[in-house]
Amino acid sequence: MQDDNPRLAVQADRRDETPTGLAEPAVRVDGLSKRYGDVVAVDSLTFALQPGTLTGFLGPNGAGKTTTLRLLLGLATPSSGEALIFGRPYRDLQHPARWVGAVLESSDFDPGRSGRNHLRVLALAAGIPRARVEELLELVELEPAADRPVKTYSLGMRQRLGLAAALLGDPELLVLDEPANGLDAAGVHWLRGFLRQFGAGGRTVLMSSHILAEVAQTVDQVLIINHGRLIATVRMDELSDGARSLEELYLELTDTEAQ
Amino acid sequence: MSRQLRSELLKQRTTRTTLTVLACMLGLILLVVLLHVFALSAADLRKASNQPKVYGWGTSIGALFAALLGAVSITSEFRTGTIRPTLLATPNRATVLTAKVLGAGLAGLLVGLIAEVLVSSIASGGLAIRGIHITLSAGDFAQMVAGGAAAGAAWAAIGTGVGALVRNQVGAVVGLCVWLLLVESILIGDVPSAAKFSPGASAGALAGMIQNVSGGALLPPALGALLLLVYAAASASAGLLLTKLRDIP
Repeated sequence: MQDDNPRLAVQADRRDETPTGLAEPAVRVDGLSKRYGDVVAVDSLTFALQPGTLTGFLGPNGAGKTTTLRLLLGLATPSSGEALIFGRPYRDLQHPARWVGAVLESSDFDPGRSGRNHLRVLALAAGIPRARVEELLELVELEPAADRPVKTYSLGMRQRLGLAAALLGDPELLVLDEPANGLDAAGVHWLRGFLRQFGAGGRTVLMSSHILAEVAQTVDQVLIINHGRLIATVRMDELSDGARSLEELYLELTDTEAQ
Repeated sequence: MSRQLRSELLKQRTTRTTLTVLACMLGLILLVVLLHVFALSAADLRKASNQPKVYGWGTSIGALFAALLGAVSITSEFRTGTIRPTLLATPNRATVLTAKVLGAGLAGLLVGLIAEVLVSSIASGGLAIRGIHITLSAGDFAQMVAGGAAAGAAWAAIGTGVGALVRNQVGAVVGLCVWLLLVESILIGDVPSAAKFSPGASAGALAGMIQNVSGGALLPPALGALLLLVYAAASASAGLLLTKLRDIP
């Protein structure tokens, strides 16, 4: 797989939408909480991501990572607090695809629809030209399989199709939930190269993952949450030995929390 | 809004669901109409009051399959998870729901039309083969086809609302089938004075006939149309309200 992906930008006048948008943090989460009955899924979470940073979002299963991302993307309503993207709630973004691209789960496809038609359906709704669909199929190397129903795709192909959907609007922020799931070694290498290049252009990535070694090699900082609370923010350049010390730190923090 | 509507219409065309629903409808129409036309006695079929009961199957089958298409248009998004990318592209849930109701309404119009045309052609062909005089007038046929198409559009909106409320595909499909095929028939048999205001009988009023009911047992067409519109608006609004209030899984 190639590392030097062309940028393939859609000429979008997103900066006209909110002249101050890019001066805001890409993501600002403030006192965010989500309760389901007695269960607190997200508990007074506060953090901000500056544009241009690649951030890993770590925590054990059930720590509240996916719920936080759903709150950020307007799919769920917070019990209290707020989650803003470039200074606005997701639902108030006028052209959300141009600001944010998200891949939440690898299974968010209709199994009977082809990959190309999946992208066309979303491009139509977001007002994105058809040519962009073809560019992205090429970028994620799905062109040969584009007319096959998604049910025939491997997990890695579905991940790449999800990524293509997230990139339709050429967004400033990418939100990825476990993006390396199901990718083989070459796929992970490709994804890492892609994300670094994406971030190098001053854009922002927030990716949840449980593959610590993968995160350590890709991101600038990690947020570690447990039981819905932020327990640590760590800059990767503060860690002496990358992946290994991240793993030690992570296990120490989440283990202490569990007791 | 037009972007979202075009997206919805493309969704309908890019899976096999729509064709499968139409194929099932064709099968059911063939079974029901042929059974009625060839199994009933010629004496029964010659009665002017009985023929609309056979032709009326077009209205109920058209309404049913239009409703199923409407329900599946939203429940399939919850079943497969595509509701998430759909709402990420269009965070305004009212826009998404309205586009779905309009898209399903267009499909329902077509389904209602096809059902009425198929039932009237097959029934008329069958009656002709048996040498039975058709008592329906050209006006009856025109009302059946136009009214059945409009009833299909309204029932597609009802189905979309039910799908948005229930979210579970099997639940919505079974619920709509039970209501249209079972509950409506029971009501019409047991409490006809109240049953004529039901959403199924209102479709019948609009088309002039529905499964086993016609004539005086139905409301005037204009009143049926108004009631259907109210049912469609109520179902779609309830679905929209709950979609706005509830989180997306």
